[in-house]
Amino acid sequence: MTAALQIQGVRKTFGDKVAIESLDLTIPQGATYGLIGPSGAGKTTAIRMIMSILFPDRGSISVFGQGSALDAKDRIGYLPEERGSYRKMTVGAFLTYMGCLKGRTRAQAYGRADRMLGRLGLTDVNTKKCEDLSKGMLQRVQFVASIINEPELLILDEPFGGLDPVSVRLLKEVIAEEHERGATIIFSTHVMAHAEELCDQIVMIHQGRKVLDEPTSGLRRQYDARRILLEPLDLGANLLALQALAGVENVRLNDEGCEIRLLPGTDPGTAIRAITTLVAPARIELARIRLEDVFLRLVSESGGPGESQDALRTHLQGLSTTGAIS
Amino acid sequence: MSVSLRRIGLIAARDYKTTITARGFLIGLLVMPVLVVALFVLIPRILTSRTPQVTGEVTVIDSSGKAMSELQHALVPAQILARRILETPQNPAPTAGRAAQPVPAGPPIAVLTVVPMSADADVQTRKSWLIQPRGATPQHLAIVVIQPDAVVRRAGSPAYGSYDLYTSSHLDAGTESTLRNSVRDALAAARLRTAGLDPTTIAASQQVFQPDAVVVAGDGEHTGSPGLARFLPFACGILIFIGVMTGGQILMTSTVEEKSNRVIEVLLAAVSPLELMYGKLLGGLALGLTMTAVYMVLSLYALAQYSLAGLLDPMLIVYLLAFYTVTYLVFGSLMLTIGSAVNQMAEAQSLMGPVLILLIASYTLTGVIGQAPNSSFSVAMSFIPPVNTFAMIARVASSSPPPAWQVWTTLLISCIAVLVVVWFAAKVFKIALLMHGKPPSLITLIKWARMA
Repeated sequence: MTAALQIQGVRKTFGDKVAIESLDLTIPQGATYGLIGPSGAGKTTAIRMIMSILFPDRGSISVFGQGSALDAKDRIGYLPEERGSYRKMTVGAFLTYMGCLKGRTRAQAYGRADRMLGRLGLTDVNTKKCEDLSKGMLQRVQFVASIINEPELLILDEPFGGLDPVSVRLLKEVIAEEHERGATIIFSTHVMAHAEELCDQIVMIHQGRKVLDEPTSGLRRQYDARRILLEPLDLGANLLALQALAGVENVRLNDEGCEIRLLPGTDPGTAIRAITTLVAPARIELARIRLEDVFLRLVSESGGPGESQDALRTHLQGLSTTGAIS
Repeated sequence: MSVSLRRIGLIAARDYKTTITARGFLIGLLVMPVLVVALFVLIPRILTSRTPQVTGEVTVIDSSGKAMSELQHALVPAQILARRILETPQNPAPTAGRAAQPVPAGPPIAVLTVVPMSADADVQTRKSWLIQPRGATPQHLAIVVIQPDAVVRRAGSPAYGSYDLYTSSHLDAGTESTLRNSVRDALAAARLRTAGLDPTTIAASQQVFQPDAVVVAGDGEHTGSPGLARFLPFACGILIFIGVMTGGQILMTSTVEEKSNRVIEVLLAAVSPLELMYGKLLGGLALGLTMTAVYMVLSLYALAQYSLAGLLDPMLIVYLLAFYTVTYLVFGSLMLTIGSAVNQMAEAQSLMGPVLILLIASYTLTGVIGQAPNSSFSVAMSFIPPVNTFAMIARVASSSPPPAWQVWTTLLISCIAVLVVVWFAAKVFKIALLMHGKPPSLITLIKWARMA
């Protein structure tokens, strides 16, 4: 089967700044890929090149076997990070217009818009002007615009930014439905938890380079856990005494108890047994590895530029940077 | 990569529909004809209809002793009316059996009664006669003092004397002008009569009525109209200018709005930058053509009111639409480029300067070229874009249009100019659409075009 997306040796620069360097990526049809990395890593640039909004300086991008996304635009749905609408147009007219641009008839586009608006809790907004909607409502309308053509490839750039938890849940459900329908989904985010929840495969980008391309399930096995979370039964127990146990790298106290970090190669089962002999636990568990930790470990192991882990962690949690190209 | 005509059509249709139904555009569309009608038709009529007839007295002190009767005759309303008819441009030649000539539009004829005074009357004392409250009847309007040598020259003097005029502060300019013209005619008539000549015969011999020229051409004869020939190049120029300015401005504003609303990237998910640009250009072109068509129909209607519509060559309308289209595509592409490169309308001003200067300079030339359509300058300008379209339409609309090969050559050169400008615009448009931050300079735009 033809890959939904194939990127080979792509490089993109803006003046002296290298935005993307030697990017290779193949996404099979029907997959859900998470494109993650801190703000400014090059995710949006990569997506804009996939959409043929920007063009690479070097390398090739093929979408559904076509040399350019321009030849497959009717098969693609795209929700850009910076999304807008025609403020004076009604929601119905706006979505119908977008559907027609994507190769649908007016009736098809209007019908699909009506159904999806209802699915996202936006019945009765068809006749309202876009400028009369709240920010959250408008974001849901913009999401409907991206799937108005029942795309075979759906690219979502930070789809949950600024949405309330209920809207996030609704959007996640619809994304899952689109995936079940057969759509290939590329999902860009700097919030790792969203990628963990939705994606089969994770692609990490840092400073324009791909640093990881792995199935989400394999990540947990490959990057084994070395953290144990302990909540003691006796709140007065001496937790710092755990520091003396074999295989323990360090112990960090927190409000609920402590986090025990193991030395590489230590068997977690043996460590847990040793811990419980010293301190009776109310709760003890092996912490699941987080994408955030994988990312930070990869960056530090690759000896990347001297950005501190705290700074990276901050970027991963949502602070954004601005550039000439937005 | 192929360009989809369907998508271009959809973008053009949306832009056209959104703008044509906007209240601001409709008001703008109607403002121009309303202003023209108001300026050239309604205001003069209103002013005329609201002007009350002036009735009053004029004291005449004839120191020459020979002009009083002539002046009394010249101030009779019938004489004033006859003079007004003669002074009206394009008055028809009197023909035997023709009905009375129509009374030209203007304020009501003043009724001026002469109060004769003896030659030795004291002017200084009489001046107080002019001072009276507003609304007093009869109104004392003026004192005319004919100088002693106004009719018969002093011995050895090459020139005649004249007259002194003292007026009331209530005398309006129109009545004063009527009075001056009457005194001038009366003095001239008195001088001729004193010299033994008949003023009526001489006045009649000086009148040569201007006929409308009959243009003899290969396709027959038709009556020309000097006024229309003077007006047409200017009118064609202004039609193109207004259409291009309106279409271009709308194009630029909508692009800036789409960029600042961040809807551009949503659109680029569905269409290519080139499709977006062509669609917007086409939508703006349709808007400008609609506006030009509305103004053309109104102009034809106005000409028909004066029985002048038949004088228009139908090919002029075809050429006007063709030249409008190519002019719009050149200037519209440049304005679209500017719109794509900035984030707010205020930032567009510095980049718009050179484009506006070029457009206004081209338009200004139509008046000059229309007067000398076949001068070397006019011919040269007809082949240099982007001035050439304005120059050529002025020549085509003039009384002496150029040969057809020149018109078609101008169109061909314009089409080449369109291709070059649209190519440049497309290059910049692709890069500029997603650019934010500091607005670029002209040099940066050229750099972008080279980068793309």
